[in-house]
Amino acid sequence: MLSEWLLWARGPMFRFAIALMALGMLRLMVLSALNLAAVARRSGDKRFPFAAVLRRTAGWLVPRRDALNGQPVFTLSSVVFHLAMIITPVFLGAHIMLWQRGLGLSWPALTQPLADALTLAGIVTGLVLIVQRILARSSRDLSRFQDYLLPVLVTIIFATGYLAMHPGSDPLPYETVMLIHVLGGNLLLILLPFTKLSHALLFPITRLVSEMGWHLAPDAGHRVAVALHKEDEPI
Amino acid sequence: MHQQPQYSYYAEDFPLEERPRRFLEAFAAILRYSNYGPALDTYVHVSAKCSLCTAACPVYQATGESRDIPCHRSELLLRVYRRYFTLGGSLKARFLDSYHLTDDDIDTMAEEFYRCTACKRCLASCPMGIDHALITHLARWILSEIGIVPKALLVSVREQLEGETRNTSAIPQVAMRDTCEFLEEELEEIYPGAGITFPIDVEGSEFVFFPAVSDYLLEADTLMGNAAMLHAIGASWTIGSENFDGIDYGLFYSDRMWERIIKAQVAEIKRLGGRVMLIGECGHASRSAKEGMQNFIPEDERVPVVNIMELAHANFLSGKLRLIENAIEERTTYHDPCNIARKGWIVEQPREMLRHICSDFVEMTPHGIDNYCCGGGGGTVSIDEIRGFRVMVGGQTKAEQIKATGAHYVVTPCANCKKQVSEIIEDFKLDVVRTGLHDLFLQAVIMPDGQRPEPRRVFA
Repeated sequence: MLSEWLLWARGPMFRFAIALMALGMLRLMVLSALNLAAVARRSGDKRFPFAAVLRRTAGWLVPRRDALNGQPVFTLSSVVFHLAMIITPVFLGAHIMLWQRGLGLSWPALTQPLADALTLAGIVTGLVLIVQRILARSSRDLSRFQDYLLPVLVTIIFATGYLAMHPGSDPLPYETVMLIHVLGGNLLLILLPFTKLSHALLFPITRLVSEMGWHLAPDAGHRVAVALHKEDEPI
Repeated sequence: MHQQPQYSYYAEDFPLEERPRRFLEAFAAILRYSNYGPALDTYVHVSAKCSLCTAACPVYQATGESRDIPCHRSELLLRVYRRYFTLGGSLKARFLDSYHLTDDDIDTMAEEFYRCTACKRCLASCPMGIDHALITHLARWILSEIGIVPKALLVSVREQLEGETRNTSAIPQVAMRDTCEFLEEELEEIYPGAGITFPIDVEGSEFVFFPAVSDYLLEADTLMGNAAMLHAIGASWTIGSENFDGIDYGLFYSDRMWERIIKAQVAEIKRLGGRVMLIGECGHASRSAKEGMQNFIPEDERVPVVNIMELAHANFLSGKLRLIENAIEERTTYHDPCNIARKGWIVEQPREMLRHICSDFVEMTPHGIDNYCCGGGGGTVSIDEIRGFRVMVGGQTKAEQIKATGAHYVVTPCANCKKQVSEIIEDFKLDVVRTGLHDLFLQAVIMPDGQRPEPRRVFA
């Protein structure tokens, strides 16, 4: 029974999740491109400091000294958490076998001790981030449902992945653990385009859109006034 | 509801009927014709609610209230965008009983977006690059289109665009001329025989000068320093009698007004046949002119925008502007106006001159592009009724910074920062003298013939 569910989760559901994720991301990409093109067309100032924005964006890929000064535990946990989340799905030996099955491509895998270390680091930092979000009042007051759901989900995926790789220390049946792992992974893929996870795709343009927002459109004010029927109103 | 909502600032009466509908109409029109849509579209997706901006915001640091977290404030507008202008939001609203915009939400926004000084310090702390100042800027524009604007800003812009005097301080042309004559007499005492003037309506001048017009009322020393410096470098400059106000409060609440104001200023430059727009010691005037010129004025009508400190600095480097070394012995520090420092535009230029003329120049921590706002940014300094909040809360960090330097002079080359820092000094009872860069130049500029200024006390 459980193995049939597992087959379903790994087969049709996984394909559905991948397809939905890809379509959702494609939609975001197309919309963003159209958006940016519209801004460029409307702007009075056509010069965009692409290089400077790119440098600023790239600068955020390494932990910043001032962020470390502000909230060192959060910043470091977040960096490690991201590294684990990016590296393990792609470079874990067991995952590469999946990639090979689906894409016919393969690449060198992480050594087992390194994979274990990354997975454990992912679990620990995931827990730190969840606890931090609950304990720090400023974070708590900002948080939405997805802000709790996503780190919990990722931590569960890491934990079940670790247990699946170490059946000896696993108190649960292998298939149960694997089913949770795969369902969790599928859910994460589905959520990617619809939650803040979309920064996986949008991160490179976040600073660009901020910059472009200040490239004001000439005559926008007058057109707004006309649309609101107040072009002849005194101030 | 039949009673006007009360905010911490005064506002003129605005219509109360169907405010949510009218707010959304204004929002929709602005999204349609302006360039803010893509930014909001990206922000509603990526906003991670990580709270790193708490470490950057001086208002939050002083109050510790969640409503002052930049990300929390921005969410007030982002949730409206998400609900009414995204596919996900409208689907969710169709199937679930989700958020909808109410009068109370509008009143909350009206209050919160004027607690932000739009200093942009949080931009550098956001991993997602969310520009909360842009959201504040946009939210205030939408609010203004349904009539919610601090009265102090509104009446200034009304006078500037539609009033008799065409400037925010309602200074009649004749009063401006009188002031200039009086300042010329004062300058004669500092530089006897030098013949320093305030040229008015000199056609074909290279520079047309736009200080914050309030300088004519409040900052005599800054203006005299400006004139002395311009005289020393032999600049061809003039004041336009029909428009002599560099202030552009459009930057603070409405792109519609921003565009009208910069267009009126450019028209005056064209009338006089000027070639460069020269802005006085004023942060927001410099930024609104520079960005406004670039964005709102057609390419063939644009003229370069130069801040007067840039001009002084260029001439200082070329040797044309000679300044007395160590003319000022008292310890001096420098406050960076956000609008010229945050993007690194004017940071080092005044410092290079200050290090030359001051024997004891010290920095605040942090400073430069990472500086703290004085607390009066985003137009809030003009709103006198919020002084308690603006100075004691918004200005708290700045007061501590100034105090820690142990300086005698705090130099702040911005009309808004000048007023705010003066009030900080008063309310925190600091033993400091607030001044401008050009105010100090009155003790340091050497005229081309070698004449040095007569000793005089700088008025605080």
